Amino acid sequence: MAEVILKNIKKVYPHSEKKRRRGEQEKKTNLKVTDEGVLAVQDFNLTIADREFIVLVGPSGCGKSTTLRMIAGLEEISGGDLLIDGKRVNDIAPKDRDIAMVFQSYALYPHMTVYENMAFSLKLRKIDPQEIDRKVREAAEILDITQYLDRRPKALSGGQRQRVAIGRAIVRNPKVFLMDEPLSNLDAKLRNQMRAEIIKLRQRIDTTFVYVTHDQTEAMTLGDRIVIMKDGVIQQVGTPQEVFDHPANLFVAGFIGMPRMNLFDASLVLENGRYAVKLGELYVELSEDKQKRLAAKNVAPQEITLGVRPEHISLAGNAAGAVRGTVDVSEMMGSAIHLHANVGGSDVIIIVQTANLSDEEKAGFAMGKEIAFTFSGSIAHVFDRESGKNLEF
Amino acid sequence: MKKQASGLIWTIILSVVSALYLYPIIMVLLNSLKKESAITTAGAFTAPTAETFAGLENYVSALTSQGFGKSLFYSLFITISSVALILLCCSMCAWYISRVNNLLSRMMYLLCAFSMVVPFQMVMFTLSQTADRFRLFFIRFNNPYTICFIYLGFGAGLAVFMFTGFMRSVPIEIEEAAMIDGCSPLQTYFRVVFPILRPTMISVGILETMWVWNDYLLPTLVLDIKKYRTIPMLIQYFRGSYGTVEMGAMMASIMLTVIPVVIIYILGQKHIIKGVLAGAVKG
Ligand SMILES: Nc1ncnc2c1ncn2[C@@H]1O[C@H](COP(=O)(O)OP(=O)(O)OP(=O)(O)O)[C@@H](O)[C@H]1O
Ligand SMILES: [Mg+2]
Repeated sequence: MAEVILKNIKKVYPHSEKKRRRGEQEKKTNLKVTDEGVLAVQDFNLTIADREFIVLVGPSGCGKSTTLRMIAGLEEISGGDLLIDGKRVNDIAPKDRDIAMVFQSYALYPHMTVYENMAFSLKLRKIDPQEIDRKVREAAEILDITQYLDRRPKALSGGQRQRVAIGRAIVRNPKVFLMDEPLSNLDAKLRNQMRAEIIKLRQRIDTTFVYVTHDQTEAMTLGDRIVIMKDGVIQQVGTPQEVFDHPANLFVAGFIGMPRMNLFDASLVLENGRYAVKLGELYVELSEDKQKRLAAKNVAPQEITLGVRPEHISLAGNAAGAVRGTVDVSEMMGSAIHLHANVGGSDVIIIVQTANLSDEEKAGFAMGKEIAFTFSGSIAHVFDRESGKNLEF
Repeated sequence: MKKQASGLIWTIILSVVSALYLYPIIMVLLNSLKKESAITTAGAFTAPTAETFAGLENYVSALTSQGFGKSLFYSLFITISSVALILLCCSMCAWYISRVNNLLSRMMYLLCAFSMVVPFQMVMFTLSQTADRFRLFFIRFNNPYTICFIYLGFGAGLAVFMFTGFMRSVPIEIEEAAMIDGCSPLQTYFRVVFPILRPTMISVGILETMWVWNDYLLPTLVLDIKKYRTIPMLIQYFRGSYGTVEMGAMMASIMLTVIPVVIIYILGQKHIIKGVLAGAVKG
């Protein structure tokens, strides 16, 4: 239980000697490269409240693990301040930070039984053996691994190992609980099950969590707040609902939501003091709160990139004043149909709920069929065409 | 059919080769059971007959001969201290080499690999001179109690090489977990790394034990022959009470030295092969 504050945290990986000698630069990713080295994380500012569940999410190589490892003390912090419970811990050893970590590869001690694995940290802290026994058994009970306490990790399945790894962390009762992609080695079914268990666990052990994943479903379902990162830079911090409803830029818009948000080249117009978007013949006035935000920033009418999520598009009966396209592929998903439509040469995905459709209508979306669609002004996202920033912010 | 035929040929070839390896040992075994007078060049390969069979007489005289107990003690002491020192120091060194990536660690690794290539004969004379004269804080290295440091030097190459090969296949997260769980670096080593290295410890331990126990040249060069004799040295200088070489007792003591090594090897065979492979594949 503790507040964690990251102030201007920065991580620089120095150039490897060989490359420096050859004057070469690493070009694998879009990470910023300076004279010192590769900037894996930069300008990381975040205040994690006590008992908050924070999820760091982003594509591979964006610096999530690096950030987490800096909090854990496994990676040196190149710049900035890290505060746990108000105390600066930049130069404090991992063991004295009162944190626990669950690794992607579980990292159990292979020569110890499950019981010994879980008791290890308590033994090192010279806690009374009876107390250790009580804590280990309690944690084993919570995680339902009591019957495996005498086994070695080798004799456990992936899911069971993961539980042991979590158990090893919770017996400590740490101030901060760090998890680096703990579910990514599990198969899809087990992953869903463990995700639900982490939610339950969270209610029982009520501490500060920092959780790293590249899976947006995990991020959305687990996090109180989500931190979306790209190339070592925070793109947006917000609740799952916030980042879904108000993506700060095109990257976040594309990263959160499945299938991806549709993007159109459109224009933002200002008529009689009211903002609207114009896409071909379609003219949609934006909702009140969007009007206010745009007006407050005094945004000028301009060419924009318009974003609309597939589930927010509705089919229009008549084609007048709507966007027209032809169906390329129609995927029946059961409760919904995913239409891939060709609109002026680009691919647009539309989700049509099947609940209120007749069988005839359901079968009607054959390839080549002409369709027309609209959307409302409350879910149209307007992005600057150059920078990709959401114009509302 | 073809496969069977080639299999047969290989079996024959390898049988002949192993017979070549075995025949000196068999010869020693046969002669160790003969009476002293029956051990002749001409009859080296004949099995003991009713008249020449000596029973365990030679073994008894070897075991009771003067200096055997002392030599056994020196051999045991040198072997145990050297192997223990090699295991401890080389596993620590390999841990450093595999976890720290800087110039020093790379140089150390290359140096160890290089030391395996240099034949002992190349350095033995300088070594014996150095061992005679060198002293470190009044500690000299020409006696059985400190000779383990010399063995450490010569054994380090192989040991570090094998330990590093295995260590590199161990995920570093385990050590990081230990650090978070509250281990100091020394605790991480002794409570986590050391037990994980156990299989390699066993194979390195067996290889080094066989080498040190059987080694003749190094102790001969370094130790004062008049004062200290390990078992291989004792055999060489086996003499009867009248200055003649007692062949029977000598053969018997050779057998006595070989037996422990054979037992250790048979017990640890599985580990040796595993350990050598781990080093080879992943190193
Ligand atoms: N030792 C290093 N030297 C140089 N660059 C490094 C080093 N370690 C990591 N990086 C770089 O830092 C960036 C961030 O790495 P990090 O492991 O934090 O990514 P991640 O977000 O956890 O990705 P993933 O989802 O694949 O685990 C990567 O682009 C990586 O190439
Ligand atoms: Mg990672």
